[in-house]
Amino acid sequence: MSVAVAEKFEPKILALACNWCSYAGADLAGISRCQYPANVRIIRVMCSGMVHPKLVLQALDKGADGVVMCGCHIGDCHYQEGNVRAERRARAISVLLEDLGYDPRRFKLAWVSAAEGPQFASLMAEFTEVIRQLGPNPERVAEPAGKGA
Amino acid sequence: MAVRLAEEWFATCAGCEVSILDIGEPLLDILKQVEIVHMPILMDHKLFGQAGERAEMEIPEADVGLISGSIRNEEHRHVAEEMRRKCKVLISLGSCACHGGIPALANLGTNDDILNLAYRDTITTDRNGMPCEEIPPLTDRVYALHEVVAVDMILPGCPTTPEMLAGALTALLEGKEYKLSTKSVCDDCPLQREKKVLSTVKRRLEGPRFTPGRPLSEMQCLMEQGYLCLGPVTRGGCGGSERVPRCIRAYMTCEGCFGPLSTKVNPMVDMVGALATVGIEAEQILDRNATLNRFSGAGRLRPVGKR
Repeated sequence: MSVAVAEKFEPKILALACNWCSYAGADLAGISRCQYPANVRIIRVMCSGMVHPKLVLQALDKGADGVVMCGCHIGDCHYQEGNVRAERRARAISVLLEDLGYDPRRFKLAWVSAAEGPQFASLMAEFTEVIRQLGPNPERVAEPAGKGA
Repeated sequence: MAVRLAEEWFATCAGCEVSILDIGEPLLDILKQVEIVHMPILMDHKLFGQAGERAEMEIPEADVGLISGSIRNEEHRHVAEEMRRKCKVLISLGSCACHGGIPALANLGTNDDILNLAYRDTITTDRNGMPCEEIPPLTDRVYALHEVVAVDMILPGCPTTPEMLAGALTALLEGKEYKLSTKSVCDDCPLQREKKVLSTVKRRLEGPRFTPGRPLSEMQCLMEQGYLCLGPVTRGGCGGSERVPRCIRAYMTCEGCFGPLSTKVNPMVDMVGALATVGIEAEQILDRNATLNRFSGAGRLRPVGKR
């Protein structure tokens, strides 16, 4: 890919944040006026453990360049062990991405507590940078001709 | 007036045609009302005239068209389009036509990979080059019938069951609607589930536990015994009026031949997701793409590492 295209590319990133910790963490990042890239779209989910692998794959199929799943730290889950399940599923998601031919780096699992606003902001900045380096998701289905890799 | 029936077959083993024969006695009643106008496996009817004198392909008009097999080359595509034009109702017969079936496992490689394996790279093969004269070119991948032409009804299964086939044909003759099961194989499965969490997947050769002669309802769920069973992600109904799924009757795991309940889902994703939730690592399942999409590869399997 040429450098010119890489510079113009703005990744679309989906963040799935759990209601009890990570979404509150994102909120704290906002009210603390932490700066993080506008590439991130957040969807609030009740628990990271409810994120089925097919949701992540669907996001990537429908045009997301990266998906980051955020939950409470292990031991802090509002539902006792939802994030343990999320961790197991995240491993399965990585395997599935590889099987289906995606770059597994397009998916990331991270723990963000309600008190970690700045950490949430820097996590999003880092992940956006990783995806920017990877370039556009070649699997975007509805991509108009001439755009993308 | 007899109902006119046309049948075609593409990339298939003809097992579904044997299923037609397997209908048994009800077939005699069906045949009284049916006039077969085109069926290559049964009668000599050439597509371009008996001596190849026609310039255009010709399949007679028919009320019902049955097509088994997936689309593997341009000839299949061409015949499928002609069948669609000439048949009022078009039915996908068997898993190959419905979901790609076994031939769609070829979608795990590119056409070049396959041709190289078949004609060049295998050690026991003389390198004679690829055949290219007077044969139709391969399509870019294996397609299910509905990906190429509009299909009115699907009858999945490898092979499809005679009971379903007879039911569907009878319903059509009587002008009634025929509905497939919208439940999974597990809904029809009589085995005992105890909701045990497992951690390992066994090889099937280890042999599921059961007591010969005892009813199936006393046998423990094969998944709970540690054998990979595709029942949860597979359309039910293969048991017909007996309900008990065909493979379960033989103390075997479901292989997923009826395919998923919707064209939009990928059984591999659903199955790996479900197994991860109960604590089975996806890595334990070997060759996941082919194992979990064995009969439903059209539109789902792709060359790995090629995107």
